[in-house]
Amino acid sequence: MQWPNTIVHVLKKYDVRFINYVPDAMGERLLKIVRDDKDFDVLPLTREEEGVGVVCGQSLAGRRGVLLMPTSGIGNSINAIASLPIPYRIPVPMIIGFRGDLGEFNATQVMMGQALPDILRALRIPYFTLRREDEVEVLTEGFLRITYATESPAALLISTQLAGWKE
Amino acid sequence: MMNMLEASQALVRRLTDDDLVVAGLGNPKYALFEASDRARNFYVWNAMGMTASIGLGMAMARPDKRVVILQGDGCLLMNLGALATEAWRKPRNLVHICWDNRMYELTGQQPTATAGPADLARIAEGAGLSKVERVETLPAFEAAVDRALSEEGPWFIHALVDSRRGKLRPPKSPTFIKHRFMTDLGVEH
Repeated sequence: MQWPNTIVHVLKKYDVRFINYVPDAMGERLLKIVRDDKDFDVLPLTREEEGVGVVCGQSLAGRRGVLLMPTSGIGNSINAIASLPIPYRIPVPMIIGFRGDLGEFNATQVMMGQALPDILRALRIPYFTLRREDEVEVLTEGFLRITYATESPAALLISTQLAGWKE
Repeated sequence: MMNMLEASQALVRRLTDDDLVVAGLGNPKYALFEASDRARNFYVWNAMGMTASIGLGMAMARPDKRVVILQGDGCLLMNLGALATEAWRKPRNLVHICWDNRMYELTGQQPTATAGPADLARIAEGAGLSKVERVETLPAFEAAVDRALSEEGPWFIHALVDSRRGKLRPPKSPTFIKHRFMTDLGVEH
């Protein structure tokens, strides 16, 4: 199971320093690695929306951060995303544990999960879904390239096909 | 009771060109602009609640710079969790000022929860911030700012202000605000 290491390797290559997060089981796979790595600085948030502001502040001050969160976090962040990084043109790379899709056990996650791609499309946010180990590096790198090129948010979804489903 | 514009002027007189300031939606950014339109003022249009989080991100990214957050009571009440995050992270270079006029002034002076029993200074203390000042007069505000600028933070200054509104408006282009700020700081994405 290499994907968490691959993502962390690419984040490092792109000088991402700050991992701002609301935890979920998928995100924890990355957090386990970055917590012990002195190249990263990890910030726990109370709500995903906060992370939109924090990543923007980090970027405005010249350093790179990502927002790591579960699917439900997009729901908590929509107005912040629409009114801050999009109009101000600030890159906000979002890594999202994709709940409410393939193999979901929890019915209350499904509506948000099924709406997630449409929400991202409605906001014109490019998104890429990690499904197979051999695609992780190129999709992670491509997702970072487009967020910094467009100076706008982009999303990387970690699917249950890759990470396994929750019991 | 002090006025937000007079207090913003007193604050700006004490800052250097090197300091970063983020001013939140509504009157806080209007008052900051009227007090002094500096390149390192980041004016937040809309994005209610985000002001404190932007300031925290700046303070984390640049521990060598002082960061000042200016935010109204309505904006802070929308994202009280930011106080808990700030207190836990404890950035030494952060000064968080909340102008409390106890209303959503621009939308028709509807009362906020601080018109009721909510006390933002006590909420800040409860969140874990230890350097908290509550001030109601201009001399008390100036003394609090002098302390906050000379001692390690994070500081939280809860400033009770009247509801007089400023006349001037800052630049409206988000990308102009961003580019001016980042260019002056000498950074890029």
